[in-house]
Amino acid sequence: MSKPFLQIRGIRKEYGPVTAVHDVNLDVAQGEFLTFLGPSGSGKSTTLYILAGFEAPTRGDILLNGETLLSTPSHKRNIGMVFQRYTLFPHLTVGENIAFPLKVRRLPKAEIDAKVRDMLKLVRLEGFEDRKPAQMSGGQQQRVALARALAYDPPVLLMDEPLSALDKKLREEIQHEIRRIHQQTEVTILYVTHDQEEALRLSDRIAVFSKGVIDQIGTGPELYANPATRFVAEFIGDSDFLPCDLVTAANGKAEIALAGTTVIPNVPVHGKPVAGGKAALMLRPERLRLMRSAPGGATAVPVTISDITFLGNNIHVATETARGDALAVRLPFGHEAISSLSRGDSVWLGFDPASAHVFC
Amino acid sequence: MLSRTDARAPGSKAPAYRLRLTDFDLTLPALGLLVLFFVVPVAILLARSVSEPVPGLGNYAELLGSSTYLRIFANTFIVSGLVTLVSLLIGFPVAWALAIMPSRLASVVFAILLLSMWTNLLARTYAWMVLLQRTGVINKMLIALGLIDKPLPLVNNLTGVTIGMTYIMLPFIILPLYGVIRKIDPAILQAAALCGANRWQALVRVLLPLAMPGMAAGALMVFVMSLGYFVTPALLGGTANMMLAELIAQFVQSLVNWGMGGAAALVLLVVTLALYAVQLRFFGTDRMGGR
Repeated sequence: MSKPFLQIRGIRKEYGPVTAVHDVNLDVAQGEFLTFLGPSGSGKSTTLYILAGFEAPTRGDILLNGETLLSTPSHKRNIGMVFQRYTLFPHLTVGENIAFPLKVRRLPKAEIDAKVRDMLKLVRLEGFEDRKPAQMSGGQQQRVALARALAYDPPVLLMDEPLSALDKKLREEIQHEIRRIHQQTEVTILYVTHDQEEALRLSDRIAVFSKGVIDQIGTGPELYANPATRFVAEFIGDSDFLPCDLVTAANGKAEIALAGTTVIPNVPVHGKPVAGGKAALMLRPERLRLMRSAPGGATAVPVTISDITFLGNNIHVATETARGDALAVRLPFGHEAISSLSRGDSVWLGFDPASAHVFC
Repeated sequence: MLSRTDARAPGSKAPAYRLRLTDFDLTLPALGLLVLFFVVPVAILLARSVSEPVPGLGNYAELLGSSTYLRIFANTFIVSGLVTLVSLLIGFPVAWALAIMPSRLASVVFAILLLSMWTNLLARTYAWMVLLQRTGVINKMLIALGLIDKPLPLVNNLTGVTIGMTYIMLPFIILPLYGVIRKIDPAILQAAALCGANRWQALVRVLLPLAMPGMAAGALMVFVMSLGYFVTPALLGGTANMMLAELIAQFVQSLVNWGMGGAAALVLLVVTLALYAVQLRFFGTDRMGGR
């Protein structure tokens, strides 16, 4: 990453006794698409609202090109934002909505008209400039909101769950639009969502928020392959957890004992490992191998099949360990084992210790 | 007139009876009442205004040709206009404050507003008389503060009428405006701010246009009510500053001149209807509660 473009420095927000954001630090590169991912109440929206200037942080600073933003009121920050709810001005037409930020900046009329045309073209809504927002669908309204937010060439565009009011199909369509517009305009985007698929599809990097802190920042593949916390492992991709005992730990690798199996060495470990303590082994359903009999030498867990679900391109097999812990495995369609398997069968699920993770 | 539909459900022989909003036969008794007690008397008044004492438009000519009567029309319109304007200027910030304040505080303010509305009109008007008179609290306070040397003439003139009527009309502006402002999503104003609009621009370009239907509804109601108001002008205005309602009362009660009284009432009615038509033209029936 080159010199940081946008820096969030130790931002903290307290509402009385409740701390919504705990000392968040973050560097954003120019042109980056960064997503704040997390459940509701994790502090992601509050952080975005502090960037927008609707909330003042209890402490910390935000620097844009090395200069603090906090002393600038919202209307002078020159930041673009698309909101969760439809916020087009209902008394203005689409064209007037896009022209609004340019009119309050007192730009010459010819320049405004040209910019409105460019923006309508960018969001592919040419010919809609005389419509009122109420005459448009939710997806179209959010595209106009995007055009309005980009009309004044903001250095940063904030998006607060802009697609949450739309249905799934439309959401995917507009996700593609957002990607295209990001590539075309090269604007820096900070995007808030609680939808992991949306985050993975759109972002260069994802910051996973949990209880007011950023658990981990990284690209989608990084978060998937190397989750720093159990929360991240649960939030990105599918995962199951088996309780286990920690035997020893050193250099980020642990030796664990799983009920019913021998000791498993060389599993990546996260958290604060204590020898002899309790831990959780994370296994991803797509990384498990299903075997009919006990494997010689390979690491495997004996389980009983509780359900088999056909999901089109793959098959989801739900199983249970002897202790009753759920462990799912996903098999490609056409897997030889499918036709011969049925509920109640005892099988083994094998895994590569290096692809598993232990959380303490 | 009867637009009942006999929609048959598929596979069933019995006609399904559906009550639609366009069916108004059930309202006929109420409509009959309205015609009997409102339309007929107005028609009689109209008839008397062009037939007493002699048939013709003499009453109207006298009403619109005399400077005394024109003065009264002017008083009526000036006071009503001022009351409407001042009510809007005071009412908008109050309605806005009500819409954004915590709901517990808002309900207290509402209680105060409604209590004042439910207090007897005469009592409230006499209270203003006491407050506004030469030796009243307001004049005494202003003198004590050294702002004026001798008492201001605040009562028995149009100033008094305007003050008293504004006080009475305020809730009629605040309530519809509050309803409209409450429906404006605060995120729209946040969007305006991020678009670069300062407070003034957000107010003029976004908030006021969005509140306009409420302002227009409230303003029309206040203006029309003010045009025909009797008690407050009679008590606070003094005899020299008559308004239209007082003139009509005088024609009918003191002079027993139903012709002139009817003509004055009809002029008032025509003006009111004209204003209502203007309102409909600009704001449409859908925003006035119709469809």
